[in-house]
Amino acid sequence: MMEDKQLNELWQQYDAKLQEARILNLQSWVLNLQQFERLQKEKASRKLRGITGIKLLGVVLGLAWSIFLLFLVWHSLHWSRIFFVVSLTAIALITLYAVIMYVGHLALINQINNEDAVLAQQEKISRLQASTLHVCRILFLQMPFYCFWFITPEMLQNEWLKNLLITLPITIGFTWLAVWLYRNISVENTEKKWFRILFSSREWTYPVKALKILGEIEEYKRSVVVN
Amino acid sequence: MNTATDKAGFVKLIEENKGIILKICGSYCNNPSDREDLAQEIIYQLWKSGKNFNPDYKFSTWMYRVALNVAISYYRKEKKGPQLTPVEELHIDIIEDTTVDNEKERNLQLLQQFIAELKQLDKALILLWFEDKSYKEIADIMGITETNVATRINRVKQQLKNKFEVHKTSE
Repeated sequence: MMEDKQLNELWQQYDAKLQEARILNLQSWVLNLQQFERLQKEKASRKLRGITGIKLLGVVLGLAWSIFLLFLVWHSLHWSRIFFVVSLTAIALITLYAVIMYVGHLALINQINNEDAVLAQQEKISRLQASTLHVCRILFLQMPFYCFWFITPEMLQNEWLKNLLITLPITIGFTWLAVWLYRNISVENTEKKWFRILFSSREWTYPVKALKILGEIEEYKRSVVVN
Repeated sequence: MNTATDKAGFVKLIEENKGIILKICGSYCNNPSDREDLAQEIIYQLWKSGKNFNPDYKFSTWMYRVALNVAISYYRKEKKGPQLTPVEELHIDIIEDTTVDNEKERNLQLLQQFIAELKQLDKALILLWFEDKSYKEIADIMGITETNVATRINRVKQQLKNKFEVHKTSE
């Protein structure tokens, strides 16, 4: 088995090789800092506007949708529309919860500072980037409520067989799927096939990577407790 | 930081500490163009943050914090993720290359490969250990306790040694 000393010697050789190679033209970049600074500022502000813009849009649309649903609920408060009222209220509350999460993450954007200790800083950035995934898993919980909003007490009496054979199994199926997704969209499953298929598109790349780093941070925190 | 806010002083500081930047970029990016991009990003962030530097702290601690935070964040931005050369392919390349000291060169490439395969935070930790930083300074840079630093470093070193061992036995 290799000793610490041998590992260190290898690192020293690597260091010497890097110094010789002069792969990066550090000095010329430093001398062109002003021009570079201007370009980077533009890039950074575009990125920040991008993150903030998406989150703000989420907040505005989520709020508008919740208000619309609660407006419908307010005008439907009657026993004959009990399923409509229950499902729309649940959907509105879940959406509002997601909106509150987004608002919290918008506040995190202003706390990002590269001079903070690595773990604390990475946790903030990763939480921010993984928030889209967390909001998504919360929104999945709405699924079963979309399955029975149209049912009325009369329908239950007159068409009970149809509801028993079609609506009930569909609602149970979606409830199971929603709870399963809520519990399983987590860092432990990022390498599983279903996870990679579900979040394969480009916009999920950052949140999934952020989730992996959050997993590493949690591991570090657990080590602290163990020690 | 007076020296860093003035350009000449900043150039001097970067020159003196360029090894740190080169090694961090080398460990977090395999692709040369990504490596250059990351180095530029680190230098810019150091320049930008220079005015906030508190001279009561060690310059290297501050520099490592900024550079590692930028490097780990950069990993998340990489579209394809780290592109690693499989060790087997690396081995074949090296065996065919007769112009260099094969054994030494192979171990160097394996070390780079094995470090690149580490988790992002473990990578930061082992880089600091290789740089001969004290457990106290590593704890300060990473934001964890010294005991945790010691435990995690031992685990990561063991991981690296095991990888060398496995590779050696598979030859």
